[in-house]
Amino acid sequence: MKIKVRYFAVLRDRRGVGEELIETDVRTVRELVESLIRQHSLGLPPSLIRAAVNGSFANDGDKLSDGDEVVLLPPVSGG
Amino acid sequence: MKSCSCRRCRGARTVFSLTPEPISATAREVPSAGGFVSFEGKVRDHAGGRQVLRLEYEAFDELAVSEGELLCQEAMQRFRLLDVRVIHRTGRLEIGETAVLIQVAAAHRKAAFEGCEWLIDELKKRVPIWKKEFYADGDSGWVAVEPVAPIDERFYERQLRLPEVGEAGQQRLREARVLLVGVGGLASGSLPYLAAAGIGTIGLVDDDVVDVSNLHRQILYRAQDEGKIKVERAAEFAKRLNPTINITTIPYKLSKININELVEQFDWVVDGTDSLEVKFLLNAACKRLRKPFTTASVHRFEGQILTVMPDGPCLQCLFPETPPDACVGTCAEEGVLGLTPGLFGILQANEVLKGLLGYGEVLSQELMLFDLRTGESQRLARQKREYCPACQGDYKMPSNDLEVATLEEAQAKLGEFRLVDVRESDELPRLKVKHEVSPLSRFTWEPSETPTVFICAHGVRSYQVASQCRAQGISNAYSLAGGVLNPSFKEPV
Ligand SMILES: [Zn+2]
Repeated sequence: MKIKVRYFAVLRDRRGVGEELIETDVRTVRELVESLIRQHSLGLPPSLIRAAVNGSFANDGDKLSDGDEVVLLPPVSGG
Repeated sequence: MKSCSCRRCRGARTVFSLTPEPISATAREVPSAGGFVSFEGKVRDHAGGRQVLRLEYEAFDELAVSEGELLCQEAMQRFRLLDVRVIHRTGRLEIGETAVLIQVAAAHRKAAFEGCEWLIDELKKRVPIWKKEFYADGDSGWVAVEPVAPIDERFYERQLRLPEVGEAGQQRLREARVLLVGVGGLASGSLPYLAAAGIGTIGLVDDDVVDVSNLHRQILYRAQDEGKIKVERAAEFAKRLNPTINITTIPYKLSKININELVEQFDWVVDGTDSLEVKFLLNAACKRLRKPFTTASVHRFEGQILTVMPDGPCLQCLFPETPPDACVGTCAEEGVLGLTPGLFGILQANEVLKGLLGYGEVLSQELMLFDLRTGESQRLARQKREYCPACQGDYKMPSNDLEVATLEEAQAKLGEFRLVDVRESDELPRLKVKHEVSPLSRFTWEPSETPTVFICAHGVRSYQVASQCRAQGISNAYSLAGGVLNPSFKEPV
């Protein structure tokens, strides 16, 4: 299935792009986060990356479907 | 008695000083002077038709002294004075006490009279000293010694016209008490607008002093403020903008010890810090004490903002595990455009005003993202988490097993370990203790049975590397918290 992934803050810096369309066979939000961390050296544990699916924050176990838009949010500290 | 102690002023005959003690002084001898004029300003028992019982003067000490000294020097030149002395009281004064003493000496009496009169007029306009009048009717109020333009209802005229504000709304703002934690880039956006809107009491917490590298984004400060206490300078900025409001300055670091006591005294807390630890600490305290809490964070050209209401989802509902500060860089390490925190500070002020005046809805169920490069904003819905430590009131300070606090702790915890420096080869100071080098830009490190502690400048890159190792299944990788540039970093001998 195809999923649109948007990266925020330090994740955007480390991934090198703000958003991308990916082809994946992961089933859950947690699996997606883990696979992106491994693939792109995002340098954060999965517990510190929050995912919002189609405009709402999601839980680790939530299932993903074709065409979903996922926003990945790291903690942000700057002020 | 405080007076300017810079080298230039110490030898000169001009002296401007502040004192909490009753003023008594005799004129200094100046053999070449033929005219000595002395002026005493005293506390009188009425002001603006109201009976005054007593007064309190508050000064921003360093600034008052440095501006007072400049004023004295200017008077010396303008009127060719031979000596100038100005002493201003601070603290509580009773009726009839001397509030200010001005003594000048000149070759002839005309210059002495003129110089003295000019000094008292200019002093009232230019030196930041504030007066709190205690009236017979039990009321009290801070007034500028002599505001350049009198503050009256015209100050709020344009916002009073909004049906969402009006007299009732303005009164709510006047009665509101807002705490700003961290007086940096975010507060540079929020404080001016909260002060100008007429928030009656604003508390400022920050233990930092102004650094030149702050100025591109922390526009509350001026270049000459370097080294000055931030909360004092920020309070001065706000009081100059709107002398009718109360500013409380708290020049301390917010901690577990003082947080409850501070938050309790206010109606709304605005987080302007760049520390994840403080953000989560504040979130938990505000939840516990049922105070609305607005937090924002920025990163380069983007940022996020949300408001936590007493019964709504909180920051910890979003991130259940308190992130260590090292997991992402701060402005210091990552860089940030000055207006990014400024814009998010303004959005924070908007949250407070929305909440107090009731226009629109606060971001209590959402998190808003905004990107200054594209102008794109996004609102993501947040929910309460079933088990949230902050919402349940059993918040604990974060701990994580990825970081070690010191090399001694690493030794004690891990036994023998490899120390790997991931900084670039031109970063100083280099380590003296036995270590390997593998800069992040060309990282070539092979895991082994022996645990590894990564080290960098601030503990951000080393956290990133250690975290990435864990993600690849290497469980014996650690990061030295704070890095080489942490003031408490020590190499074992
Ligand atoms: Zn919560």
